[in-house]
Amino acid sequence: MLSRVADSLYWLGRNVERAETVARVLDVNYTRAMDLYSQRDGRSETLWRSVMQCAGFHRQHKLSTNGKAAADCFGFCAFDEGNPNSIVSSVRVARSNALSIRAELTTEVWEVVNVLYLYVAEQNLRSVLREGPTKFLRRVRDWMQAFAGMSDATMSHGDGWNFLQVGRFIERAYMTARILEAIDVENEPWHEAQRLLEMCCASVPFAQWSHRTPDARDALGFIVLHQNFPRSLRFCTREVDAALHRISHEPEGSFANDAERRVGRLRALFDYTPLEEMLADGSQAFSASLVDDYEALSADIQAAYFPRLLTA
Amino acid sequence: MLDLQPHVAEREHYDELYEASGIPRPHYGPLAATLALLGRDEILARVQAINTALLQRGVTFTVYADSAGTERVFPFDVIPRIITPVEWARIERGIRQRVRAINAFLYDVYHSERILRERRIPRELVYSSKNYNREMIDVDVPRDVYVHVSGIDLIRDERGEFLVLEDNCRTPSGISYVLENRDVLKRGLPDFFRDYAVCPVDDYPSRLLDVLRYVAPPGNAQPSVVVLTPGIYNSAYFEHTLLARRMGVELVEARDLVVVDNVVYLKTTRGLERVDVIYRRIDDDYLDPLYFLPDSTLGVTGLMDAYRAGNVAVANAIGTGVGDDKAIYRFVPDMIRFYLDEEPVLSNVPTYDCTEPAQLQHVLANLDKLVVKNTNASGGYGMLMGPYATADERARFRETIVAAPRDFIAQPVVQLSSSPTLVDGRMVARRVDLRPFALFGRSVEVPPAALTRVALREGSLVVNSSQGGGSKDTWVLQA
Repeated sequence: MLSRVADSLYWLGRNVERAETVARVLDVNYTRAMDLYSQRDGRSETLWRSVMQCAGFHRQHKLSTNGKAAADCFGFCAFDEGNPNSIVSSVRVARSNALSIRAELTTEVWEVVNVLYLYVAEQNLRSVLREGPTKFLRRVRDWMQAFAGMSDATMSHGDGWNFLQVGRFIERAYMTARILEAIDVENEPWHEAQRLLEMCCASVPFAQWSHRTPDARDALGFIVLHQNFPRSLRFCTREVDAALHRISHEPEGSFANDAERRVGRLRALFDYTPLEEMLADGSQAFSASLVDDYEALSADIQAAYFPRLLTA
Repeated sequence: MLDLQPHVAEREHYDELYEASGIPRPHYGPLAATLALLGRDEILARVQAINTALLQRGVTFTVYADSAGTERVFPFDVIPRIITPVEWARIERGIRQRVRAINAFLYDVYHSERILRERRIPRELVYSSKNYNREMIDVDVPRDVYVHVSGIDLIRDERGEFLVLEDNCRTPSGISYVLENRDVLKRGLPDFFRDYAVCPVDDYPSRLLDVLRYVAPPGNAQPSVVVLTPGIYNSAYFEHTLLARRMGVELVEARDLVVVDNVVYLKTTRGLERVDVIYRRIDDDYLDPLYFLPDSTLGVTGLMDAYRAGNVAVANAIGTGVGDDKAIYRFVPDMIRFYLDEEPVLSNVPTYDCTEPAQLQHVLANLDKLVVKNTNASGGYGMLMGPYATADERARFRETIVAAPRDFIAQPVVQLSSSPTLVDGRMVARRVDLRPFALFGRSVEVPPAALTRVALREGSLVVNSSQGGGSKDTWVLQA
């Protein structure tokens, strides 16, 4: 397929996934901030700072300290066009990618992106907070999951769909790694681990799997290593690996380019390394190195399939 | 109830719905009955649903002069325009003849120039055309087809006779609206179709693909066809995506193509892949920076060489613009007689040629009665509607015409026919034209997929989308 189209599908997949993740992160934290993290003792600011770290942007955005941290953070992560990770930015980039490859997409897939774009463009921070942000965030998540379902059900599962998969699962792993980096659960009360699980959509699956007194390290292990949970780093990495091999026709277990080599090493890490060894320097150091790994993997994929030089 | 008042009791123009006596024409009878049955509120509710669907589908176009909200839904009027089998048969015959003649003319001016040698068309007029392309002299295009796709704009005069207003032989657009309009109308107002047998329009993309494959260079049983678009900011981008998708071919931008040793390739994730046919929606000037505008970023370096070497087919052919030059238009009836030895089925609108001194004097003396068109412009840009223009505008046009007479033609104001149209919840009469599309492969075909454009402003005679025009679903009734 055209390199330019593959490029756009990859970023379409990434931005759709990012909008969904940011919407979930905001929803979980907004709800938690109402009771557990009350405004009075300043814990609310701590909470929103961690949200900024994973759903915001690398650059430090100043949060108000006069009790407006929630609205501030919400505005930056949902509506700030200057923040490339905000919901508005992700949806706009997703839509412009979809528009540039309109001919490759099915009507269903195009429309779900376009409808969400039209919806988001009409919203603003004040009215969303006035009616409670759940409706807005829920809508973003629903449409983005509709995108996943419709792309699976209506597109041929050829190269184009596989590039979409690569984008979707790299982004999911990358955002999960950023969430792990932003929240230190090991020396905190259990509700921090619970917040982490919720942000990863893992609360009930974890409870079903664990069957014992909740333990922060168990929660970390679940999110990093679970075989079948579709947001675990191991699962996402395996999906990226598989999609890349479907594209290259290289048998799994060997590699045709640097991207496949790097993702193979990550797979081996998750498949064969004991959790204790991974977390030897603490979960945050480990997560930070994973964030770097996924960024490097993205660069490898670009170099293999859509080098900038070609499109100059 | 929706008021279908005989809005045109006293009129100088032809009305599609009402006879002069105020009675609906027979082929509009069932539609008028359905409208009355549904009632105003129901119809307006359906219209709203249809407009939402168009926005969500992204059936939009871009207005160049408008920097703010550049993407707009092309206004769609739900009241269909109906054409009888007898009317259509004549249109079909007239357009086939016209397109064959223009194609023969293009072959001629780039080969033996018989029509110029026999002085049927002035040599200077052809050579001075901005779209006459010297690089095409003695180039043999595949199957001798130049005008693979054309859109011939027709209007109806006071007596209801179809006249040709202009020929579009380069990259005519509008077919996507034909396809989308039919689809949304069938879903949104199925009631309308109940008592009619309407010719379907949705095989247009496959017929276009047949034409494109027919002109592919020989040697490849499965030629690779692509649609070449200037990109997402082009006003017809939606159409490019729709055609590529429905034909099942790649939609490419120039940066996706590369020419190596006179062969055109796609840059893919598996390396370079050969391209045999390019349906280009880019003007000649931008196609190849080596030959045309050197700073064009929309073009493919080396494309012209590959084309002249016969390694790739380009549709429409390069250099077809001399065939739809507005200054050449008035000679098309002569071309039909000259090349086909037939009488034209469809007449032209009378046209004054500003390069002839006597005609120029007449034009300048009657600017307040004439329509003046720039021979190099399209889409309703750069024209003067004499009777509706201010004295200032006329004075400015007079100067530009005198400075460059080759760039202008003038025509009397023809009263376009009117058709019932919903505007602000009321049924009113608005002027319409008709653009049938012709496909030229093994022969010229005119699929029953024509675009009706409607001037939504009261009294306006300009139907272009860039000038406040909309469109209607156009029903060619089955014979």
